[in-house]
Amino acid sequence: MASEPSVRRGDILLAYATLSPAAALLILLAAVPSVFVVMIAFQHIEIGELSGRFVGFQNFLWVLNSREFYAGLWNSFVWVFGSVALEMLIGTALALLLNRAFALRGVARAFVLAPYLIPTVVAVLTWRFMFHDLVGIVNFLLIDSGLTDSPVLWLSDRRYAMLAVIIVGVWKFLPFVVIAILGILQSIPNEQYEAAQIDGASGWQQFWRITLPYILPVFVLTALLRTIWSFNKFDIIFLLTGGGPLNSTTTIPLLIYQKAFDDFDMSRAAAIAVVAFLVMGVLMTFYLLAMKRSEQNQ
Amino acid sequence: MSFAASTGAEQRSMIDVHHLAGRIMVYLLAFTAASVMGFPLVWMLICSFKPPAELIMSPPTFLPHEWTLANYRDLFVQTRFMSYFANSLIVASGSTAFSLVIGGLGAYSVSRFNIRATRLFSRFSLIAYMLPEVLLVIPLYFFLVKAGLADTLLALIIANTAFTLPLTIWFMRAYFAAIPVTLEESAMIDGCTRLQALWKVVVPLAVPGLISVGVFAFNSAWNDFLFALVFTSSERNKTLPLGLSTWIGQDYIYSWGMLLAAAVLITLPVLAFYLLVQRKLIAGLAEGGVKGG
Repeated sequence: MASEPSVRRGDILLAYATLSPAAALLILLAAVPSVFVVMIAFQHIEIGELSGRFVGFQNFLWVLNSREFYAGLWNSFVWVFGSVALEMLIGTALALLLNRAFALRGVARAFVLAPYLIPTVVAVLTWRFMFHDLVGIVNFLLIDSGLTDSPVLWLSDRRYAMLAVIIVGVWKFLPFVVIAILGILQSIPNEQYEAAQIDGASGWQQFWRITLPYILPVFVLTALLRTIWSFNKFDIIFLLTGGGPLNSTTTIPLLIYQKAFDDFDMSRAAAIAVVAFLVMGVLMTFYLLAMKRSEQNQ
Repeated sequence: MSFAASTGAEQRSMIDVHHLAGRIMVYLLAFTAASVMGFPLVWMLICSFKPPAELIMSPPTFLPHEWTLANYRDLFVQTRFMSYFANSLIVASGSTAFSLVIGGLGAYSVSRFNIRATRLFSRFSLIAYMLPEVLLVIPLYFFLVKAGLADTLLALIIANTAFTLPLTIWFMRAYFAAIPVTLEESAMIDGCTRLQALWKVVVPLAVPGLISVGVFAFNSAWNDFLFALVFTSSERNKTLPLGLSTWIGQDYIYSWGMLLAAAVLITLPVLAFYLLVQRKLIAGLAEGGVKGG
């Protein structure tokens, strides 16, 4: 044999051959469109055209001076932080609970995880049925238990619409947090707890000294992912309220959609998208710094 | 020490009481969590068997007075449900297959060849993963119209593949990296070519990973609403989420019963798929997660 085959040193040709389909697809369907969005944000585009005249920062100035944008940003803020905070809090608590040994634990886990597996449109349908003003079970239970006298207009009263959206979002996506935290909980070596018990540490002490530091990096990473995904989320809000009533649930993605496909104002839609992406970038940096610190503390 | 005052037996019974209270608490909490999280789905299932008139009764009945399959029958007779279902199946299977083959090869390349192109690509695919759908949908819509692919199922397959590809690459990269290179090397010493080694040694070992990432890709395409909403215009090419969404809000034309029956039927393939691969899925997730972290 002339030379020992080494996979790492291996043929460059194969490296490029296996890489190129994926690279081509991502360049064509992610990189080019992203550049395109930035480009049309600097142009004035007429309906049906691919390009238009260059207008500099005009679209961005419009975005930064429009009340719609700030209203959308505020709604996004309420939606993202409301739902992510609840998901992380309840999700972690449920993971801790479902990590304990008890009979029928598998059944309990299946019920808790199920909402994450079902299609969004199913979740929305079911909740719209449950939130129905007159025949919905939610209002029936609220009135029956004496918590309210008249039916709550969950999806058509601007005081409650965002709350309703957050409830459905938390229900649908908190299983992701449960799965992530359960995974890391199961990897904590049991000896650590045994040693702590021998030393006489209480349950609380074990939680603060062993469990929490151990799960913290995964906790922060999960919160980061949930924040990004919630910020980008479109379908669940669009299908529940369409952004209404009176734009009270119009988050940034819904605003972009409305500008692009209701008003056919692609340039302004693109400008909003670019600004929103920059906002997101700032948020991500903040999270990544927090993550680094939590890793250093370990 | 404080327990010097109490005898051993007293202390043991106190621990037992404490322990028992803890157990009851765990069961109570677990029961509450499971019922709150599970209720909407159970409610959807139960109500799909109620006759239309009973669905709009106030106060609502818990179990149907009269169990009926009328909603399911109406769904098939009065709507294009079957066509939506077939379209969804085509789009989800097509984009899952593309995503696994193209993404799998890309991930293999990134995990085995440490050259500048793969390093750059791997970073880029992570950024692509963070791009919002709604940002991509505007330019993609332009391109598809120009390419004559607007309102086709192929457009949806391509768009969904693009959306799931970064996840496939990131997940499978970690998975391939965990498969020892020495296995391939020894296959090559035994006379396999490089590609044969990939096909006969690496791929079989990566099956659990491919299954779990395949489930995610399928689920994501099966759920997709935005691409379908923007790219599809004809009734003929509507997928399930889009088809159903046009019935929502038309409470008076289509009854709740049919919508609930449709919701049950859409959920079935996803749940069946999940239960079928559950073991491998969790094993795959655990390995990919641990080794990728």
